[in-house]
Parts: sequence; C-alpha cells; structure tokens
Amino acid sequence: MRIVIAGAGEVGTHLAKMLSNEEQDIIVVDKDVRKLHNLDNYNLMTVVGSAVSLDVLKSIKVGSADIFIAVTPQETINVIASSMAKSLGCRKTVARIDNFEFMKPASRKFFSSYGIDALIYPEYLAALEIKTAIEHTWVRNWFEMLNGQLIVVGVKVRENARLVGHKLKDLGRISNFMHVNAIKRNREIIIPGGFDDIMANDILYIATTSDNVDAVMAVCGKDKQKVERVLIHGGNEIVKQLALLISGKYKVKIMDSDYDRCQQLADELPDCNIVHYEAGNNDVLEEEGVEDYDVFAAMGESSESNILSCIMAKELGMKKTIAQVENLQFINEAENFNIGTIINKKLIASSTIFQMMIDDDTDNAKCLALADAEVAELEVGAGAKVTKALVKDLKLSRDMTIAGMVRNGVGQLVNGDTRLMAGDRVVVFCLSGAIHKIERMFG
Amino acid sequence: MHLLVTPRKFRHSINFAIVLRVVGWLLMIEALFMVVPLVVAIVYGEVLIAVEFAVSVLSTFASGLVMNHYIRPSSNTMRKREGLLLTATVWIFFSIFGMLPFIFSGTVKSVTDGFFESMSGFTTTGASVITNVESLPRGVLFWRSMMQWIGGMGIILFTLAVLPMLNYKGGVSLFNSEVTGITHERMRPRVSQTAKSLWAIYLVFSVVLAVLLMLGPMDWYDAVCHTMSTVSTGGFSTRNSGLHFWHDYYTDIVIIVFMMLCGINFTIIYNVAVRGKFGDLKRSDTFKWYMIIILMGSIVVFARILYKGFVTDWDIGGRLVLSVFDTVSAITSTGFATINYEHEGEFIFFVLMLLMFFGGMAGSTAGGAKIDRFVVLLKNMKNELYKVVHSNAVTSVRLDGKSVPHVIVEKVLAFLSIYVAVMVFMAVVLTLFGMPAFDAMFNSLSAISNIGFGYGEMTGEADKFANIPDVCKWLLAIEMMVGRLEIFTVLALLTPSFWKRD
Repeated sequence: MRIVIAGAGEVGTHLAKMLSNEEQDIIVVDKDVRKLHNLDNYNLMTVVGSAVSLDVLKSIKVGSADIFIAVTPQETINVIASSMAKSLGCRKTVARIDNFEFMKPASRKFFSSYGIDALIYPEYLAALEIKTAIEHTWVRNWFEMLNGQLIVVGVKVRENARLVGHKLKDLGRISNFMHVNAIKRNREIIIPGGFDDIMANDILYIATTSDNVDAVMAVCGKDKQKVERVLIHGGNEIVKQLALLISGKYKVKIMDSDYDRCQQLADELPDCNIVHYEAGNNDVLEEEGVEDYDVFAAMGESSESNILSCIMAKELGMKKTIAQVENLQFINEAENFNIGTIINKKLIASSTIFQMMIDDDTDNAKCLALADAEVAELEVGAGAKVTKALVKDLKLSRDMTIAGMVRNGVGQLVNGDTRLMAGDRVVVFCLSGAIHKIERMFG
Repeated sequence: MHLLVTPRKFRHSINFAIVLRVVGWLLMIEALFMVVPLVVAIVYGEVLIAVEFAVSVLSTFASGLVMNHYIRPSSNTMRKREGLLLTATVWIFFSIFGMLPFIFSGTVKSVTDGFFESMSGFTTTGASVITNVESLPRGVLFWRSMMQWIGGMGIILFTLAVLPMLNYKGGVSLFNSEVTGITHERMRPRVSQTAKSLWAIYLVFSVVLAVLLMLGPMDWYDAVCHTMSTVSTGGFSTRNSGLHFWHDYYTDIVIIVFMMLCGINFTIIYNVAVRGKFGDLKRSDTFKWYMIIILMGSIVVFARILYKGFVTDWDIGGRLVLSVFDTVSAITSTGFATINYEHEGEFIFFVLMLLMFFGGMAGSTAGGAKIDRFVVLLKNMKNELYKVVHSNAVTSVRLDGKSVPHVIVEKVLAFLSIYVAVMVFMAVVLTLFGMPAFDAMFNSLSAISNIGFGYGEMTGEADKFANIPDVCKWLLAIEMMVGRLEIFTVLALLTPSFWKRD
C-alpha cells in the first residue's frame, strides 16, 4: 500500500513509525526539516514541503497513493490538502479536524463532496474512550463491535480471579463463553497457545458475546461499581468533549490551575463544577473531597504527574482512575502501576486511521488503542485465504489471532473448529508489525 | 523526565551476535560473487587458479555458513550502534576473505599486501602493490576488478536490494551509514526499493559501457574489467601502462564520459532518466560546480602541457584528451594509471590533488569529500564574510534552491575539518616512515579520497604502492575504509561513548 502522511507531528510520526515496520510504502510530508529528522532511521521516505502545494503532491505521486492522511496541526490545511489529494486521484483521504461540528452526519456530505472520505478528531475519540472507561469501571479497555454484539475487554487479573493458575486449554471447563486473545505480562504482549498459564497481574484481552459480559467479570474476580460522581484534573480539549458527553449522566467536577481556562470551561459547560486551584497546592485532591468521587481522571499536561496523581487517588480510596499518558515510553510503566485506564491521544488516532486503512466500511468500525498491538474489525473478502480451511488448520502466525466474528447479525466466538466465510465481520487481534499479514489473509 | 529510570537489565549493550550473524550472511554472498572469477579462470583454462578460487569460495562460504548458523543472537534487534558496527565490520570481513585468492595464488607476497590490495579494491581506491599486473592470471585480475564493482555501489546496498532480511528498521541506519552524501535522500519510499533503483542504474551503466568498450580495440575481457573499474570509479587496470596500452581516442572518450556520469548523484540520474525530471539537473548547484570544476581543471592541465611541452610526441587532440582524462579521473576518484609526464615540478599533480580533494557529487560512486560539501562550505563562507560588515544580517545557506538547516551546515563543516585532520595525521605518520612531506600528503589524500594515485619515489610508478613499509600499508588500508564510509561511521566506533552503555 502506498501511504502518504502529511504532517510529522505527534500523530503523524507515531503512525509513520508504526507502519514502517510493515511492508508499506510510506511517504511523510512536512514543512519542517527538523521534524522529519526524527524519522531518518525508519524505512520510509520523507519529503520537505507543504501539504497544500500541488507541486509537492504531484512530485510524490499522490495520485497513485492508496490513502492520504492529513494530520498537520491546522484543520484547514488538513481539509484542503485532503481535497487536493483526492482531486489528483488518491483513493482515500483522511483529514484530522478539531471541531465537533464537522463530525455531525450533516457535515459528512459536505466533506465528501470535497473529496474527504473520513474525518478524524483525536480529542473526541479520546473523550469517547474515557466515557467507555467510566461506564465499565472493571475493565481497562473495552471494545465493542457491531452494536455491542461482540465485546473485547482488557482486564488485569489479580490473585482472587478464578482464572489465575489455569492453563488456557483448561479454561473451557470454567468459562467456555470467552476467548483469551492476548496476555500482557511484564511489558510484553503474547498471543497465547493452549499451554500458556494465566498468572496474577496479567492483563488479559478477552473476547466474549454481549450476554456473557457479566460472567467474564465474575471469573476475573471483578465487580461492578456504581458511578455517580467524576472528578477530572486538567481542563484540555478532551475534557471539554468528555464533559459534553457525560455531564448529563454523572456529576462532573473539573479542576485546573489555569484561571482563564477555568473561566472558559465554566462558560461552556454550565452543568459541571469548575474549580480553580493555585499551582503548587498539593493537597488539592484531599481538599476537593476525593473520597466522595467514584472515578478520577488525571488529564493534565504532564504524563508523570498524571500517573502519580492517579496512584495517589488510588491510595486515598478511589475505585477507578484514568490517566492521560502522552509520553509513549511511560505507557508500559504506567500499566504496571495500579492505574485503571490509560489514555493516549496518538494511539487512539493512529489505531483509528489504521482501522480505516484495512477496512473500507469506516462508519461502523471502532478500534482499540494499545501500545504494542492492534485490534481491528474487518470484513472477510470473497476468496480470502482464511476461508480456505478451518481456523486451526490455517497455520496463523503466532503474532495474530481471530477474536470473534459476526455472522448474519449474530456475534459469536471463533475457535479452532470455526470456518470463516466471505462476508463475515471478524475482530482480529495482532501484534504490531503483523498488519500486512492481515491484508494478505483476509483481503 | 527523570521520574522513571530504566532498570539496569533493560539498558542495552551492543548486540555483537546479530552483527556477526549478518556478516555471515554477507560472506555467503561474497562467496557467490567469487564464483564469477572462478568461471573466468575455467574459461581461460587456468586450472590451478580455478582450484584456488574454488578453495576460496568454499572457505568463504563455509565461514559465512558457520557464522550464520551457529551464532544465535538472544534478540534480533539492531539499533544504530549495531548498524554502524555492522557496516564497518562487513568491509573488513569482505577484504579479509576477498584477499584469499591473491594469497592462494601467490599474487601477493604477504597478508599485508593482500589486505591492502583487497581493501583498495572494495573501497574503489585502485591503489596497488602489484607491479606487474600483466603477468597475473586472468581469474585473479578479474576478481581484482570485480571487487571494485561490488564496493562501488556498496556491499550493504546490494544486500538491501536483493535480500529482504535487512529490511527492517536496522536496515535504514545501514543504508545511511554506507551511502555517501550529506542527507542520504531516498528516491522511493522503501529502502529496499531505493537500493534496487540505485543498483539498476549501476547495472545499466555497466552493461552499456562494456558493450561500447567492446566495440573499440578491447577484447571482452579487458572491456569488462575496465567497465567494472570505471563505473565504480575504482581505477584498477589489466595492463601495466593502464589505458595507454590502447592509446585510442574512442576508448578514452567513452571512459571519460562514463567516469563523469558515475560522479553524478545517482538520485538525479534516476529522476532525469526514469522520471524525466530534467529540472532536477538544472536546479542542482552541485552539478553546475561539478561541470565547472572539470572544465577549469582540464583547461589548466592542458595549458600547462602545452606551455611546458610535455608529451610532444602526441598530436594536439591526444594531449587535449589526456588533460580531460586526467582531470575527470582525479575528480571522480577513479585514478586510472596515467603516464608520468611531469618530471620536474609538481604543478599538475598539485592541481589534480585539489580536484581529488573535491571528489564527485554525493550519492555517486565517486570518492573524495564531495562537491556538495564544498558548495555548502563556500556559501557559508560567503555569508560569514558578509556578516563581518553587516553584523546583524540573518543569512541562509541555499543548496539546489532549498535552504540548508544550520544543523546540516555544522555537520558539513565538522566533516570537512575531520576529513582534513585525518588526512594530515596519516600524512604525518607516513613521513615518520621516511616518506617526503609532499608525497605523504598526496598518498594520504589519495587513500582517504579513494583515488589510488601514488606519488613519489617510494611508490615509484603511479599507483604502485609495493615498496612502502608494511605499517604504512595497513594505515592506508584503514584510511581508505574511513574515506569510503565517509569518516563518521568508522570514527564513531573509535570513541569511548560508542562502547559505553548510556
């Protein structure tokens, strides 16, 4: 696939690095040479120039590109560049925006008439992810497919879970309603086989059907928390979108040390409590009555202090914490701590774009953002390799697994004896670096 | 940012196992290359040489196989350090195994000579310790030329083009450490594609040149050998008197044209020839300077020949071709043996020395410090001089119509300083062993710029290094590698910080 990425900012760089491990032709365009220097040692081509220059777009032969991804900081440039790329013959275009209005279905038509196939709004996607985390406090990640018929959850299991200490092949007796896709243990994600054990403190990625979610929760040793009050630290764009999404349902309090930003939030979010505190006031969590809240989200600018304040909140008795960790290096560390859900805007954005790349039906698709793996939903093509044999005879490589599928509108798990058919929608769990294999197997 | 310190066990030290394992792969490729001279030896009925080549092929292949098979790295990750180390080690390993045919056949007297000859071949220097090449068996002579051909475009680049195994993140730093130039531009999105395109151009040049030379007085053997010397800008010949053996206008001019072509940035050639973008050529400052320097150099040498009355037994056209030939041969770092016409004074040699220092364009097979860097240097100098008067001026260095960031300008200046420093240091060491000062400078420059001209009484005839002390041969061989890999790659290995865990 020929992929053009305009803008070597955080999202563009991450996406380029992720895809460069794959068998893809990647071209990154940015005006700033210094930003492109970060990509010098990756298997891709960098071009210095503006994304809205016809000359530049022509010189990189955008017309023969399969996908054009505009992720520069400016929304207008992204929109115009995508439109230009489309008119030059690019197959599919994605533009990053930062305006909720554009996401409305009514705007869709307008944008598609300008040749923009998909819009991506990372802050909004992050807000959706936090909303899901608040609704399902017992999981770390929650992935719903086709109106929630099939669900993949990421759960950290403790000693009290019934699953711990069993081999995967023996799980059938305890829980035949679920499928363990992957295990994250000490910084490493593995796709397990039947003889792998489940150990305490593993993060399990489990696929199940919607009617069995409660059973999964039980075998993982978790219970449901009732959430009424949400405390958020930091008042960025994600928080604003989040507040708009959830303020009707929960009682939301937002704290920030910047007075102007507080004032702005107070103007825009009448249903939320906005608290301004002096920077350096370390007791603010206790002063604001942390113990009265059910969920704490640390959304400050610094990844470190987000992690630390979540650990603190946990010690003060908070049941569920959510931390925004934009520093990718810290994600593995943070997962080892007792923090519930970790939010990373870059991962969310790049996973969404990745989903768009492998599946044309972007409207339904959702994605799960993980640091070293991808979960994607896609339709099995006619005559695809995976339809040729039973799943256990497919000789799938150890870096991918089929989590589940929806056939004729009914969600079901996939096991070794399943045979996929063209038209099935499947959820595939794969480690980074294996994405091109998906194309080969399912296309 | 100091919040989370990575525990000791996660710090990496250098992964030597993976480096050696990949070297094993590459040695097997070298063994395959060695089959070609084996076939040549058989064709010419040199049975003994063929057997010696067979032994070399087998021992190289077996060593590679053993290294590749029995070294099991605990992890397959290759970072920048492993990349740099691999690039440097590969060139050393190639030279060590490449000299086997020379040693088995008794072509060279010692391991020192063998290593020198072999490194000189792979780095496309073309300096030789063999005084009478015409007496050598055909197979050996063919291998000597072929080494240059392999090294001209690059060992690792070849591997990147044909084998998928290096095509992950590590392969990119390998590409960057072997391809010459300031910025290592890639013309196609994937490194493997870029490597394929570069090798494709190289192959096309080789085939066309070989056919053209065969149309002249050369037989196919001489034509192929000289083709490999020319497109790689190496300079080994199959005759003691080099191309003057034929003394033929047609051959000389064809070779001049191809030396010039191979001194041009291959990316520009690709863009012009394949994509039809002639604008790239017009816009290129370096190309303009390359042509201007060749023109000026030729005029100066020609004027000197006429004025001093050298080679008066040749007609005027012959002397003109000779001037252009020597100029192009020097600037592209080919260094084809030339007749020694200036016996008194060193004016022409000094002019050629300046050209050798410039070298060809970045991204070509030519050596030298690369014209691109000089253009940056000159433009930066102009800005600095302007700032002496206008101290508040804000200036920008522009190359090929694009501004060059300050970081790059700094890197270029650092490169040139280190280049000169290494060259002078080596020259000083050479004088320690009794070489006159000018000769030492010239030979040191010749090695670091991969030219292959030799000068002075110690070297005797041009580009014969047979009589210099062994220590000097080793030093010059290493200097050639330093020059071929554009200094930083090798010198970085000599710094303590490279080996320290960080």
